[in-house]
Amino acid sequence: MLPDDISTIETTVLAVLRDVLGLSEARANALRPETPLFGAMPELDSMAVAGVLTELEERLGILIEDDEVDGEMLETFGALVDFAVAKAPR
Amino acid sequence: MIDYYDWRGGREAMLRFGPETGPIVMIAMPLFEEANRIRAFVVTLCRTLAARGIASALPDLPGQGESLLPTEAARLDDWRTAFAAAAARLGKRPYGASLRSGAAVDGEAALAGRWRLSPLSGAAALADLRRAEAAGMKMRSETVAELDDTGSPPQLLAGNRVSPSLLRALADDAALAIPDGPLRTLRLTSDPQPADRKVDAAPLWRRAEPGNDPALATLLADDIAAWIAQCGG
Repeated sequence: MLPDDISTIETTVLAVLRDVLGLSEARANALRPETPLFGAMPELDSMAVAGVLTELEERLGILIEDDEVDGEMLETFGALVDFAVAKAPR
Repeated sequence: MIDYYDWRGGREAMLRFGPETGPIVMIAMPLFEEANRIRAFVVTLCRTLAARGIASALPDLPGQGESLLPTEAARLDDWRTAFAAAAARLGKRPYGASLRSGAAVDGEAALAGRWRLSPLSGAAALADLRRAEAAGMKMRSETVAELDDTGSPPQLLAGNRVSPSLLRALADDAALAIPDGPLRTLRLTSDPQPADRKVDAAPLWRRAEPGNDPALATLLADDIAAWIAQCGG
């Protein structure tokens, strides 16, 4: 996968988190690969997790099975981007 | 104004906005949690419509919103019947505006046309609930049980006690109904499904903390007003 494609996916993941969690521009722009998500962001409850997954599916054209969902993929922003990159068609 | 409507299962509240003359829009709210998330936004939309001379009505469905009926007593058929009864109470033939899974309950109502925002079927709304429930269990490291829609006790799905009958009816509601009469569909730019118009906005119905978006309310109110004018209202 080209670095440009990865960058597009990262931008999409960021937009999904901003939209679903209602993050301010400042908080969204402060997200780094190591920024913790699940357990660290109070907005990320189970309904929000479902919203993030469904929006990622729609916007990236991917399919996420429920048994692929675990704490690890949502541990940090970088982990979620890596998950999305691995799922994206290439 | 807080009005009400009667249907065969009882009486439910219905908020009314706008003038007593002119066209009236019957709003079908999304099912379950999404309704809470966009309630403030929808009230802004209704007030914005009122400023354009368009009245609107926002009925509570039985077992949803402020309804006294417990959620586990809710049935999909009853929602459709109740929504139709609410529309009939308005006197003149209203236009329908359904938001998200509200499109799954407006099918029986006598409407002059249907305007839909990011519609989804009952089955898709149920899939969202199931996913939230599964995500919650995963995050708590509990075993995700197979969903049982054969038994009799209601199931707890993302905080909603859903009866087996409602589960089955939603699961069977696989596709959006294509109604007779005028239909206009709007979706967000981020949504790849086809629509008559794509709107660049964030999906407020996903927000854990209910938000508002007056700019989007203005855009949608203008779209609804233009559509009603085009329909001959």
